[in-house]
Amino acid sequence: MVRLMYSCREASERASRAMEEPLPRMQRAQLWLHLAMCRGCHNFSRQIEFLRLASRKSPKMFDRDEG
Amino acid sequence: MSDDDELSNAIAAQRGYLVRYAMFHLRDAAQAEDVVQDTLMAALAHRGQFAGRSQLRTWLTGILKHKIVDHVRRRERERPAGLDGGGDEEGPADAAGPFTAAGRWTEMPGTWGRPEEALESAQFWRVYDECCRIMPARLALVFSMREVMQMDSEEICKELGISASNLHVMLFRARIRLRACMTRNWFEARHG
Repeated sequence: MVRLMYSCREASERASRAMEEPLPRMQRAQLWLHLAMCRGCHNFSRQIEFLRLASRKSPKMFDRDEG
Repeated sequence: MSDDDELSNAIAAQRGYLVRYAMFHLRDAAQAEDVVQDTLMAALAHRGQFAGRSQLRTWLTGILKHKIVDHVRRRERERPAGLDGGGDEEGPADAAGPFTAAGRWTEMPGTWGRPEEALESAQFWRVYDECCRIMPARLALVFSMREVMQMDSEEICKELGISASNLHVMLFRARIRLRACMTRNWFEARHG
């Protein structure tokens, strides 16, 4: 039987992986379920997506003239 | 002054930006200077191809990315087998990461509020830069190839000769570290 709930380690790892490739349907459902119930992983997931956004904008920091 | 001189000067004027860009990925001043030198020479040699279709900086950065990737590939090939190059190895504490043996967070991630507002702050970018700098070199490189250069996962695996699952593990670790560092030094520090 497939275990229904991911641990936070599994959920956060899947959230990171989902940014690289589409997850299989079952994993996607398990991740969604975990994120809906776990505030910490929900925050983590949003924050790594924010870090992707920030990283894409980061080259503007090379504009500065000092060191 | 001819148009050609003007373009050459405009290209040279981007040098500082390109060096900082290369430095962020390579973390070595001499190597950064080298790839930028190659980039500027290639740009001057092919300046006829720059028809002002895109921003000059975008065009130069495109050339620079290729030079950085070529450089990294060569550097990887020269790495002695079995040695994982200076300080890249993570300590035993990193294997578990921020999780207990049962897979729970040792410290539950709190909210960042509205992080988008930070993107306008110069101080935010200094913290971001520093947090990337203190990551183990290989993690930082994989992360910056993926998120700053925006290369495809497959392309990174091919260039570095690593598996997709290896890449996923490294990106996950890099994201955990960067998130923790930004939390400590920006999102909590500011309100603390």
